[in-house]
Amino acid sequence: MTTASVSPPASRLLFLPWLILFAMLGATWFVWDHERQNARKELHTQFDFALRDTVSRIEQRVAAYEQLLRGVQGLFATTGLRNRQAIHDYVEPLRGDPNLSGMQVIGVIERVPSARKAAHVRAIRRLGPADYSIHPEGEREIYAPVIQRESYSGRHQAPLGLDTWANPVRRQAMETARDSGLAAITGKVQLAIDNGVEGNPGFIMYLPVFAQGQPRDSVAQRRDSLIGWVYASFHMRDFMASLYGRQAEGLAFAIYDGAVPSDAALMYRNREAAGGALSAKEYMVVASHTWTLTLVTQEEFENRFGRDISLIIAVAGVSLSLSMALLAWSMISGRARALLLAAKITEELRHMAQHDSLTGLPNRALFSDRVQNKLAHARRQDRRFALIFLDLDKFKPINDKYGHSVGDLLLRQVARRLQDSIRASDTVGRLGGDEFVLLIGDLTGAADALALAEKIRQEVRRPYTINGHQLTISCSLGVAIYPDDGTDELALTKRADEAMYRAKDSGRDSVQLA
Amino acid sequence: MNRRFFIALLITLGTFRPLDAAAGPDCSRPFTLALHEHGLLYSSDTDSGIDKDVADELIRRSGCKVTTSLLARARIWQLIESGALDFTLSGISNAERDKFAGFAWYFSNKYYLLVRKDAGVRNQADFEQNDKLQLGVIRGFRYSPSANRLVDKLHAASRVSQAGGLAPLYQTLLLGHIHGMIIEPFDYPTLEEKRIRDVTSIIEFSDASVPHGLVMSKTSLPPAEQEKWRALINGMRSDGSMRRIFEKYFKVDLAAAMVDF
Repeated sequence: MTTASVSPPASRLLFLPWLILFAMLGATWFVWDHERQNARKELHTQFDFALRDTVSRIEQRVAAYEQLLRGVQGLFATTGLRNRQAIHDYVEPLRGDPNLSGMQVIGVIERVPSARKAAHVRAIRRLGPADYSIHPEGEREIYAPVIQRESYSGRHQAPLGLDTWANPVRRQAMETARDSGLAAITGKVQLAIDNGVEGNPGFIMYLPVFAQGQPRDSVAQRRDSLIGWVYASFHMRDFMASLYGRQAEGLAFAIYDGAVPSDAALMYRNREAAGGALSAKEYMVVASHTWTLTLVTQEEFENRFGRDISLIIAVAGVSLSLSMALLAWSMISGRARALLLAAKITEELRHMAQHDSLTGLPNRALFSDRVQNKLAHARRQDRRFALIFLDLDKFKPINDKYGHSVGDLLLRQVARRLQDSIRASDTVGRLGGDEFVLLIGDLTGAADALALAEKIRQEVRRPYTINGHQLTISCSLGVAIYPDDGTDELALTKRADEAMYRAKDSGRDSVQLA
Repeated sequence: MNRRFFIALLITLGTFRPLDAAAGPDCSRPFTLALHEHGLLYSSDTDSGIDKDVADELIRRSGCKVTTSLLARARIWQLIESGALDFTLSGISNAERDKFAGFAWYFSNKYYLLVRKDAGVRNQADFEQNDKLQLGVIRGFRYSPSANRLVDKLHAASRVSQAGGLAPLYQTLLLGHIHGMIIEPFDYPTLEEKRIRDVTSIIEFSDASVPHGLVMSKTSLPPAEQEKWRALINGMRSDGSMRRIFEKYFKVDLAAAMVDF
């Protein structure tokens, strides 16, 4: 009965931990997914920025060198192509400027049609060196020999007279520069100053030089008025080292000549690339030439910008979800347990308040309650019942002789015999000491009550074995009948009590009717 | 005496020009105009193209000194914004550009997705859904709304290769390193046009035609001056000279469709 009153709400609440678990796992998934996407987006944004920045730094550097070369080109508006001193004086202050360390050489090329070849060679020999000649040798329609070479570092030297027109890669850029009137760069070349030593890819930037006062508004006019080129040559490695700004760390990038990133076209690589999370190709157009830039994220970059705390979120979230669900479960089931305990204690307290602690029989209060019930019932139904007072004879001597513990055990055994002697619907109570009281319902007459009292007297007289002692005890009983001997509790109690004392007075161990 | 005075008055009135747009722009300072290398718009190899022709005619009509230079498209927009550059040609508008640039429209066209035939793409969705396909775009370029959406979506999926110009895009398209690119009618290069047409097909974006025009830096040109330059462009459209420029580069009907919008 008590358990039944607590368990339904508890079981109804048991879905709560599951609800909490699923809600929190759901929230964890949401946060985890959000974080993962954020990390991916952040990495992507940073990567895009790094790509744009790398491209822009290269373009800016090329533009800066182009401006420098335009200065040299501008010189020829006031002087001739063969004015070596002017070029030398122009380049001289630039030497030692670390900003320009990417550049190897600034040089001048003269356009020489085959008809003027011999005159050209003679003229240059007069200027020096005396052994000047155009190489590679051979008869060609047009020559474009290098007539001056100012090395930026002063270290690199190579003989003048190299016919750049005879080299297809150089010639292509020179033609582009001539036709557009703008700067043009070559594909991957080995610079003349390397003197055949391979492994240091380079490129050359050309600007056309036109004859003074000649029109140069159309391609045809530019071709007609072209007298030569100025150029700057670069080692790719030094060029890359001269870029402004800082390259984002943790990115592997490479630059290839043209639109196809092949080993043969590789011009520069900052490090060996391990396959990264993000990679991109950009086809840069630098001074009318295509370079392919490949950029791949490396672990450092990914760790820095794509720091993915989604695993932490997942683990923490799942743990927290489980903990919260467990906590909810223990709180709910704990409440149920507490309610049960409280009900049990309440029940025990109530039992204690209504029963005699030694025998477990109803005490005076409960017995009185039962008498009132019985009275009401009997009045309504016009029934009879008996109230029997019972007092053990000479109990005190047993207590004195064997001690209270034996006395108590005797009282318990008497109580059990009394209980066994009556029906479940009847009540036996203990009023205190060796006094008991019985409520016997549904009597046809006083004779029934008397017979039962007599049976009880006999039952009590049977010997008891307590802690190895054989004990006997008798009792005196007084019987009052409702409604014959009284119609309320007080009257009935009084009459039964008087009858019991009469039994005592008449020599004990007997039954007296009121 | 009276007659002489009357003649003098006529001469004075004749030289007096009202201060309206028809008077032409204020040429008290030299201007700058940038071209960008792009298909039929401009090729530095030949120093010719639609933009060059439009620029020449515009400069002639303005009577101003205008220095033209060749720059990358992304750089051009930066300089227009800063006011270091006054004009560029064949620009399209968007909300961001409207803040710093005024436009004088002179042609309009649709955008197309040019795809390799072997990519198995019949429409925009086919391209979008095939993760293996890479799109090539020019850095700094914007297109019509659906084309922009496609670019942005593929970019987020790392499926876009950017380029500094059309030439490497065509080259990589022919090599099969990219599988599609977004083009306009004037984007076919003069060289290799046949080779490209042989291996590609064209998918039209469902957007309306997008107007292109003279771009004027709001930083360097006050509204009244922009209006005068716009009047020059409108004059070129109304007297048929704009159409004649386009007819040099396109078939008559396509030129008409582009210029009359």
